[in-house]
Amino acid sequence: MNLLTQPVAIQGIGCVGAFGRGAAAFVEAMQRGTTAPQYHDDLHGDGSAYFPAFLATTDGLDDYVPKRALRRLDHYSRLALLGGCLALDDAGISADQRDRIGVIVASGYGASATTFGFLDSVLDDGDHCASPTAFSNSVHNVAGAYLSMQLGIHGPNLTLSQFEMSVSAAIYNAVCWLQQGRVDTVLVGGVDEHCAVLNYCYRRYFAEEIEPQRIEPFAFNRQTAIPGEGAAFLVLSRDPKKSRYGYIDAICAGHVEQRAESVIQRSPILLGADGHRNSGQWYQRCVGNPKTSCSAVYGSLPSGQAFDLVAAALMVRDQQCHAACDRIEEAAQIRQITSIKCASDGQFGAVRVSRWSGKGR
Amino acid sequence: MVNRIAVTGIGCLCAAGNTLDEAIASMLAGERHGSAPRRFTTTHADTFPVFSIAGEFDDVSDRDMLRTSRLGLAAAHQALAQSGWSLETLKSLRVGVCMGTTVGSAMNNEAFYSDYRQGANPSMTPIDRFLASNPAAVISRHYGFNGPTQTIVNACSSGTDAIGLGAAWINAGLCDVVLAGGADELCRTTYNGFASLQISSSVLCRPFDRSRCGLNLGEGAGVLVLESEASHRRRKIEAQGFVLGYGSGTDGWHLTAPHPEGRGLKQALAEALAVSRVRVEQLAFVNTHGTGTRDNDRVESLVLGECLSGLPFHSTKGYTGHTLGAAGAIEAAFVLGFLQRGQMPASAGFENMDEDLGAVPVTSVTPFDATMALSESLAFGGNNAVLIFERGEVS
Repeated sequence: MNLLTQPVAIQGIGCVGAFGRGAAAFVEAMQRGTTAPQYHDDLHGDGSAYFPAFLATTDGLDDYVPKRALRRLDHYSRLALLGGCLALDDAGISADQRDRIGVIVASGYGASATTFGFLDSVLDDGDHCASPTAFSNSVHNVAGAYLSMQLGIHGPNLTLSQFEMSVSAAIYNAVCWLQQGRVDTVLVGGVDEHCAVLNYCYRRYFAEEIEPQRIEPFAFNRQTAIPGEGAAFLVLSRDPKKSRYGYIDAICAGHVEQRAESVIQRSPILLGADGHRNSGQWYQRCVGNPKTSCSAVYGSLPSGQAFDLVAAALMVRDQQCHAACDRIEEAAQIRQITSIKCASDGQFGAVRVSRWSGKGR
Repeated sequence: MVNRIAVTGIGCLCAAGNTLDEAIASMLAGERHGSAPRRFTTTHADTFPVFSIAGEFDDVSDRDMLRTSRLGLAAAHQALAQSGWSLETLKSLRVGVCMGTTVGSAMNNEAFYSDYRQGANPSMTPIDRFLASNPAAVISRHYGFNGPTQTIVNACSSGTDAIGLGAAWINAGLCDVVLAGGADELCRTTYNGFASLQISSSVLCRPFDRSRCGLNLGEGAGVLVLESEASHRRRKIEAQGFVLGYGSGTDGWHLTAPHPEGRGLKQALAEALAVSRVRVEQLAFVNTHGTGTRDNDRVESLVLGECLSGLPFHSTKGYTGHTLGAAGAIEAAFVLGFLQRGQMPASAGFENMDEDLGAVPVTSVTPFDATMALSESLAFGGNNAVLIFERGEVS
């Protein structure tokens, strides 16, 4: 692991998913062990049934942003905006305290429903009738743009799309920005939305599999993924006194075959395993450590590690493993936990959250 | 930026040429290769010219992947070859890959989606290809690198941001070497999108000209090999140039229009100048974003007048088209190439000054003596990014 010379403080968290919104709902769902996926009665165009999915609503967003300002926002941007608002609110950062804040949004697929909505306008009415509104809202950085516009944040603004590695990369950048003093605070998180085409892809790719009833993250050799959607954000600060959930004190990325040993240390590991067999083999390399996972609560989505980091922050704050555990020692007090996310090609990103910063951590 | 970062390899391919040397020679000769799209057709009443890569380019991998990723890989291949690094050595280091794109991250295969809508049981090959084509992951996987990878999707500032953030990874000690840049292909969806916004020009673009009427799209890739100054000195490799500073700022104003007073751009400029400790008068020239749209050029002219007054400037979009997520990286390669040669090409397409702008780019090949230059990118979403470069040790 790359130990950070200046650990960054976790000042606030915010999340929205099928489990609900906010830390309390997330903890409750983790302790329950799962969230119930939703089943559609609809059929895809070829007659196949919809795959179950964990779907999120953005009820309550107008507590933070005027309804009028939300008119043109699609579901993807609303998810990100709600996650970001919850995190800033939790961090106690009011509208007049947003001078030196940066924004980093990680997403696997971006505004996928709006992207296909743009194609609808072309396919339905011809090239000359392509929808400018759908096009401008389909760019990947649309959520970051709305976070800036609606929340008055004018610092550096970055959007990353690296499939499962998106969130890990986002944390790398957040750490850089804070260490180099570009900003004092970073609102960093992940967002992905579910849409009909993604659902269809699940149906097609896993047509031969038994349809899962729940995600089984530790069944590495079985396909149990259920797609999810949502947003999860952290507010990170360079001021150690602002820590309310511990610190990010080490990060690492690379290929499991070459660098996994550097991740496997004493701290428990929060696996990002989300029921996909093709990445499961890489998680097996981490089996030697106490491990836990909360993917059964939020679903399978590329930016799922953002939820894991929120979960890690909550576990470190509460010194308690809220999520599903596969071994008894995980019930021990959590003072440090490492979130690890693997991609199907063996790339991984790891982020360690510790209760303490500085010597002796 | 705490320390300057050495650029030890440059890869570049675009409509102006399939290598940096070819492209610079072509631009200095004033060649413009815009034409109707060759790889797709549309039903628009007008044809909007585009700038396509000429012929075949060096296809580094035979894996099935998006053209965007093949372009990025080709640029990475050029850059690595020049850098003098052996792959064996790189595999023992923390090598990051940081690429910008727009098309390369969009799951928007029109044929697949059309078939899906019609219930036609489409082949999953386009989705497989998309999932295997993340531009940064493709490069990292192809060379077996062992470090962080990220694909930046900040729309049209992505390439500039990728280089700035890749340099930051080295400064922060998170990587030993970073391949940073951008790649984008011409795409029917993007073509239709810009047409829908009514900012595509039906003639070759005219950045900063009174009669400018929009942009032309382009395609290409640029990749720089970045490492610390200590590393390049240890290897006794001549630097192609140096990254001195990076800054970014956000308009927080509108999804597709820049802030009328250039709020985010000014912020990006101020940051880049501050961290590089470069004074405006030390700069040889400014590479503007210069797309040729009414709004972009107006705001850039305003900011040039207020913050970079008196500096020669140009836009290279008239030679390459707007390559979106690749633009900042391709233009970074150009800036380094121009610094090496001590001259910059004319701003293609400019003929008549717009009195409302009061800004005149260079209209002929222009020599200069200074050793530093600045490049700026503006993007949908209100993203603005600036890089400052210094001439390297290669002449």
